[in-house]
Amino acid sequence: MNYRMISYYIGRILLIEAFLLIFPAVGSLVYGDGTLLSFAVTIGALTLTGMLAVRKKPEKASIYAKEGYVIVALTWILMSLFGALPFYISGHIPSFTDAFFETVSGFTTTGSTILRSVEALPKSLLFWRSFTHWIGGMGILVFVIAIMPKAESSSMHVMRAEVPGPTVGKLVSKLRASARILYGIYCVMTAIQIIMLFAGGMPLFDSIVNAFATAGTGGFGVLNNSIEGYNSVYSEMVIAVFMLLFGVNFNLYYMFLVRQGKQAIKSEELRWYIGIVAGSTLLIAVSLFTSTSNDVADSFRLAFFQVSSIITTTGFSTANFNTWPVISKFTLVFLMFIGACAGSTGGGIKVSRLVILVKSGLRDIKKAINPRSIETVKIDKRTVEEPVVKSVSVFFATYMLVIAVSVLAVSIDGFNLETTTTAVIACMSNIGPGMGAVGPYGNFADFSILSKLVLSFDMLAGRLELIPMLMLFSPYAWAKKYS
Amino acid sequence: MNIIIVGLGKLGLTMTKQLVKEGHSITVVDTNNDKLTSAVDTYDVMGVCGNGATCEALETAGAAKAKLIIAATASDEMNILCCLIANRMGTENTIARVRNPDYAAQMQFLRNELGISMIVNPEFETANEISRIIRFPSAANLDSFARGKIEIASIRIHSDNALCDTPLYDLRKKSKAKVLVCAVQRNDEVFIPSGDFVIRCDDTISITGTRAELSLFMKQTGVYKQRIKNVMIIGGGRIGYYLAKLLSDTGRNIKLIENNDKRCYNLADMLDDVTVVHGDGTDQDLLDEQGLERQDALVSLTGIDEENIIVSMYAESKGINKVITKVNRHSYSILNDIGLETVVSPQIVAGNLVTRYVRALHNSAGNSQMQTLHKLVNGKVEAVEFIVPEGAGYQNIPFKDLNLLPNILIGCIIRNGKTIFPGGNDVMKADDSVIVVTAGRIIEDLHDIFV
Repeated sequence: MNYRMISYYIGRILLIEAFLLIFPAVGSLVYGDGTLLSFAVTIGALTLTGMLAVRKKPEKASIYAKEGYVIVALTWILMSLFGALPFYISGHIPSFTDAFFETVSGFTTTGSTILRSVEALPKSLLFWRSFTHWIGGMGILVFVIAIMPKAESSSMHVMRAEVPGPTVGKLVSKLRASARILYGIYCVMTAIQIIMLFAGGMPLFDSIVNAFATAGTGGFGVLNNSIEGYNSVYSEMVIAVFMLLFGVNFNLYYMFLVRQGKQAIKSEELRWYIGIVAGSTLLIAVSLFTSTSNDVADSFRLAFFQVSSIITTTGFSTANFNTWPVISKFTLVFLMFIGACAGSTGGGIKVSRLVILVKSGLRDIKKAINPRSIETVKIDKRTVEEPVVKSVSVFFATYMLVIAVSVLAVSIDGFNLETTTTAVIACMSNIGPGMGAVGPYGNFADFSILSKLVLSFDMLAGRLELIPMLMLFSPYAWAKKYS
Repeated sequence: MNIIIVGLGKLGLTMTKQLVKEGHSITVVDTNNDKLTSAVDTYDVMGVCGNGATCEALETAGAAKAKLIIAATASDEMNILCCLIANRMGTENTIARVRNPDYAAQMQFLRNELGISMIVNPEFETANEISRIIRFPSAANLDSFARGKIEIASIRIHSDNALCDTPLYDLRKKSKAKVLVCAVQRNDEVFIPSGDFVIRCDDTISITGTRAELSLFMKQTGVYKQRIKNVMIIGGGRIGYYLAKLLSDTGRNIKLIENNDKRCYNLADMLDDVTVVHGDGTDQDLLDEQGLERQDALVSLTGIDEENIIVSMYAESKGINKVITKVNRHSYSILNDIGLETVVSPQIVAGNLVTRYVRALHNSAGNSQMQTLHKLVNGKVEAVEFIVPEGAGYQNIPFKDLNLLPNILIGCIIRNGKTIFPGGNDVMKADDSVIVVTAGRIIEDLHDIFV
């Protein structure tokens, strides 16, 4: 394990976080909301730590897969620890565990909050909260690769550990160019959304913050009752559509840019994604229409927004779905597991993994009927390599196992089954609100410190797709005899 | 520059590594997914899985917008086909590896009629390089510039050498030869030396000069080796064949040992003045029986690195004057330590050729044409030859007024066939050949050497 290179790499990222914190610091200067000092202290602490780490470039600059995972995991933990300082120092979140939970929830684009009243927070902190979504959505290390003067070829290990999905491909041959294209698309889409929200009459500050939360598929809002509070069908629809757009694999947008749109539309993952969204919307809309007082249009509007918000793992709400019929709630729980497309900013298991799971399951049934038959799992008419198929099954099993263990740990707090289970699922899949006490009108404030730490771990594990976080706590990774 | 490399064999990988280092956007194409994955993991490149001679794979790899395609699969025919297709699809330049001696005669035709920009035959180039070393055995390695007018030779300073602890300004006095030391390797470090640099024993120095001056230098410093008359070649593969042909044409006595008897008949058929011996060239008894001790030089060219190394070590122990070893896995830098001075590898030879072509292509906007590029000291130092173009801004300005970058040295200037080792008052003129020696920099144009 190349410790010096790991600390060098992380040092650079902390310096970048210090730079990013300048934006909310300027905001606090503009609004004069008294948080400037806390931002200044945080920037100072980050700069000092970062400078210490990058003071000397290590002679041995080689990074392998293992270092890549460790860098990613440690980066996300350290970024959250430092990112929590402004909340804690300014006194708006008096407990450091709470502040840490809130920041992890931000960076991992979860959107679970421990705040009972969001509106009580000063604007600069609100901005920082949603800005973490935007940073975490596409990934801080991808950002680092994009701005680095010269990409080390080993950076691929880092990118692979951070970008979600069963396989990671580059858009163009140079890693740095690929990262820049991804961030370019991301920035342009965010800007368009800000403009569209602002044009619809939302205040500028709210437009920016909500667009950040949508782009990262995070879900931190400005109002206590999320998007419902704006009472604007236009804003709801803009946000719903953009949530769906940010849940699509970004590689497809690049294919549109280089005029391969036809191929992009044929993407099997995209078709499944649209199919799942359409089916779930219909199901929920019908159940809402038959068992509540909503008319057809309202049923569809509420259903579409909520499906879009949950499958992309954003977690905005326009209604208290806690009170919806059981069939609707269960549909939403299913969507929580599935999540968005690979290579998007969303969380969850990812649609492409679901497709592979379903197809390999069907194949195994066929094989049971005719044991001599040989068949491969194909996506987009291409065979998925057998190790990938296997890793998807293992991923799914591990995902469930981590959820089960976490539910057990959180259940010590004595909440009911619904609250406990959905709290863990919502954190693991980076959604935000769950059901019951952690529903759209609830929050995570009442959990114990242990539960909050377990849930923070789940959020990071879910965002980084298990392996980096699990590896960090595995003795194999650190034992000399295995390195 | 967008470059496609088809085939991730030894040459393909060497090219990938080299060209990524020079900052190009590389897409590699191969049918073997495992090889692709490992290449994509190790280098900053994109991988395309598929047959490189199909439109589908080439389209995915972006052949329409690529500036260059390098076809280096195992099959000559496939490489040619790949270049033809890519060329029709819009790739501007094509390089094909063609190594079957049957096609050697029609290189011109392939270039002119089929429009392939460059044909690389690594085995032939390697044989050429070995034959050059054999013609000047005193140096461990020899690279020539300006059509052989100037050469760079590297020699190892052993502890009994009179040059030990000599500062460079005393060198000409001691050796009485007009040569210039342009690079020194000490352990793993490389220096571009200035006048007060002191040579220590076990340094490997690279010196520039004409053939005659280099010979004089070698004689004066006691590293001169007798002209080589008898050469034993182990391994009758493609390199062995080309080398035997090249050397026997210069009237040397060649003994070629080959294991496969069919191949032996084949070689005997093609090579007239060469003694072809059937037998295992790695067998010590056979080597002794065939008179290894009477040979002036031994070249080990079997397909297996370990065999080549062991045969060469045996030959060194027998006191053979010049021992040349072919090694494919060239990244191991231990061979000098175990006493094998002269090591050649076909990938490096071909890689240098292609690198030169790529740099010249990349630099087609600039105007000083790169003529030759050689890598010295395990690739850490480059010696590049340029022709000074008409009307260049740096002409006729004395070197003492030009601001050269650090770690750059003007090895020599060739004007009207005369060599000049430039001092502070010398100038560059149009049509001069200038040899630039540099460590750790990529020079594509003469402009690049100034601050």
